[in-house]
Amino acid sequence: MDIFSDLWLGAATAFQPVNLAYGFIGCLLGTAIGVLPGLGPTATIAMLLPITFGLQPEAALIMLAGIFYGAQYGGSTTAILINLPGESSSVVTAIDGYQMARRGRAGAALATAALGSFFAGSVATLLLAVAAPPLAAVALEFGPAEYFSLMVLGLVASVALASGSLLKAFAMIVFGLLLGSVGTDVESGVPRYVFGISQLYDGLNFVAVSMGIFGLCEILRNLENEHERSVGVRKVTGLMLTRDDLRRIRGPVLRGTALGSLLGVLPGGGAMLSSFAAYALEKRVSPNRAEFGKGAIEGVAAPEAANNAGAQTSFIPMLTLGIPGNPVMALMVGAMIIQGITPGPNVISEEPALFWGMIVSMWSGNLMLVILNLPLIGLWVRMLTIPYHLLFPAIIGFCCIGAYSINNSVFDVFIMSGFSVVGFALFKLRFEPAPLLLGFILGPMLEENLRRAMLISQGDPTIFVRSPLSLSLLVVAVLVLGLVLAPSINRKRNEAFTE
Amino acid sequence: MHLKRFIILAAMAASICAVTATAGRGQDYPSKTVTVIVPFAAGGNTDAFGRLVAEQLDKRLGQRFIVENKPGAGGNVGLGELARAEPDGYTIGMGTVSSNAINQNLFKTLPYDKAKGFAPLSLIARMPNVLVVNPEKMPVNSVQELIELLKKEPGKHTYASSGVGTSIHLAGELLATKTGVKITHVPYKGSSQAIMDVVAGHIDFMFDNIPTAAQQVKAGKLRALAVTSLDKASLLPDVPTMDSVIPGFEATSWHGIFAPPGTPPEIVEKLSQAVQAILHEPAMKEKIEGMGATPVGSTSEEFATFIKGETEKWAEVIKAANVPLQ
Repeated sequence: MDIFSDLWLGAATAFQPVNLAYGFIGCLLGTAIGVLPGLGPTATIAMLLPITFGLQPEAALIMLAGIFYGAQYGGSTTAILINLPGESSSVVTAIDGYQMARRGRAGAALATAALGSFFAGSVATLLLAVAAPPLAAVALEFGPAEYFSLMVLGLVASVALASGSLLKAFAMIVFGLLLGSVGTDVESGVPRYVFGISQLYDGLNFVAVSMGIFGLCEILRNLENEHERSVGVRKVTGLMLTRDDLRRIRGPVLRGTALGSLLGVLPGGGAMLSSFAAYALEKRVSPNRAEFGKGAIEGVAAPEAANNAGAQTSFIPMLTLGIPGNPVMALMVGAMIIQGITPGPNVISEEPALFWGMIVSMWSGNLMLVILNLPLIGLWVRMLTIPYHLLFPAIIGFCCIGAYSINNSVFDVFIMSGFSVVGFALFKLRFEPAPLLLGFILGPMLEENLRRAMLISQGDPTIFVRSPLSLSLLVVAVLVLGLVLAPSINRKRNEAFTE
Repeated sequence: MHLKRFIILAAMAASICAVTATAGRGQDYPSKTVTVIVPFAAGGNTDAFGRLVAEQLDKRLGQRFIVENKPGAGGNVGLGELARAEPDGYTIGMGTVSSNAINQNLFKTLPYDKAKGFAPLSLIARMPNVLVVNPEKMPVNSVQELIELLKKEPGKHTYASSGVGTSIHLAGELLATKTGVKITHVPYKGSSQAIMDVVAGHIDFMFDNIPTAAQQVKAGKLRALAVTSLDKASLLPDVPTMDSVIPGFEATSWHGIFAPPGTPPEIVEKLSQAVQAILHEPAMKEKIEGMGATPVGSTSEEFATFIKGETEKWAEVIKAANVPLQ
């Protein structure tokens, strides 16, 4: 079969000592920047770009790719240990992962994240090898109308993220949508809510906002009652997963992998949505749904599998169509162009060693990452025993560096600080931040695609039901809305009566 | 402004400079690290040109030239930083057609003094855009056929761009004002999503930077009708120019290097000559041509004149097309 000779060629490229070495460097760097809050793969790859000028194209891309998916592994570490998402994709991991850590199960949560990521990464890489072109064709099917319907589905499903009051969850989603509308309107070019500040023209930065609402806010909360916290996390039991844990994460990891692989193919935020979507799905289908928000292992397994699967499949549009789906892919395209290879639909046939070499390197890279990460768990968990008054200044320092590095701008540090206060106020008022962040991601995409679709159809709204794909997404959205609302309303009503 | 004459002039100027180049008064410059602000995100064309030139300036002037990306508001954030920097030659910055010739007439407020402007050092490269159509949705083989089709079905066809007021958008507006066709503009955030929707057939056509679009053309996913430079492009040698169908149609994106306003003339001259010399090295030329662009390397005076012409041209298009101010 063809695929074997292709993979053989890939292995011959990826297993050259020099390429293995660069792959390892990439994974190591990726893990490190993943662990450091805010400092993301985009900033790191940008900084390392000049170094790759002198490398062979294969080595350069294998290293850059390693940084990207390595960051997905590392990103969950601080999310679990100190409620500080290291990457935007690990925001949801923080919800249940941090609760697990507080119950002394930080080791199990970290192991779940690493193993779930490894499984998802391997499956998604296999998918990339055998089905990249057909999956890319699916991505092309998604025009503005289809994206709009997908976002509607996402918004409806986001209600499922809430574990408390439904009304408060709606309020948070709307707040998130409003925050998302800050910045230049894409269609007219008119700035909204920018107050004449140039830095706001491109909108609020997601990483800065989420680091403020989760990470810095958590510090404020802990400082309020430091005593309670240090007692809470010092009791660290069993680092490894029990048999019961393994049984519980099997389904979530599989579902997360499937969802992440599909959404990751979609350019423009698909991979970021995947972890939210996987979490929302688990919360609906899991038999342990009552535990969600209080440290459910499923709530770590599913989003971690999804974000890593999404990270791998987000290479598909770039490698098969030459179109980068996110800022990191855009950087990789930049690196390729400087190397004299312009990615396009012909890159697989013109540069087979590069394409297949990258795919095989993703396998070896994922293996390296899991070997690298599992022994580190003991070390990370020990970090929790550091007295908090020593730990938190360091966390604040790293947060500031991370926020600054997004755009090399102090402005994002201010945004982060401001949102830590917002987060604290929300906590005191018992509002949950996760629906807010999802609304913030979905809002701009929803609006842009709605207006873009209407421009294309010249104001004819039937465009959303004429496309079979868009229609089915909308139908599913309506069904989900029914499913979500019915039990919650009943529950609320019952609660209201009992109180 | 004819590109050919421009290049000949630039080449002549450069050779004169090479002969008469003597160490000026800014002799001890640079004595410490120089920051090169790139007002766009890493990985884009401006970033690539900035890094290529910075790397060579390093070698030539014996000090570190460090690239710092300061993206935001179509380049305004980075240019604001450049304007506020000490005009001592230790902070310089990249600029493009959008940031230095379009934004001035597009934004109501700018984070710097428009009247003071910047000290142009040298025009690094010009990059033609190419007019591409989706071959299945648009059964046309030439610009003439496209115009006929657009005239026959006014308002029915869409073109994508990388955002309101970008050079890619304004190229579309230039087409509309020059030919009187009615077309619907569909803006995106950045050109990669835009070109994807043209490839997929959700959008009918667009102008795009040549390197990425050329790959789609070679793979048969898109059909190239014309390039927007006055000369044919090396990456698509068989594609005619817009100018040959619509005389005077020129819309290239260009990338240059600037110093803050008020930088001492001897430092401006030293930097400008260094950049010119770098751009006349064969290895550098080859690299830039490989990226689908034309290396230029003009003197600071030539660059200033060029920017003035571009600013006036795009101001007219913005006015004629009624692009809302930001």
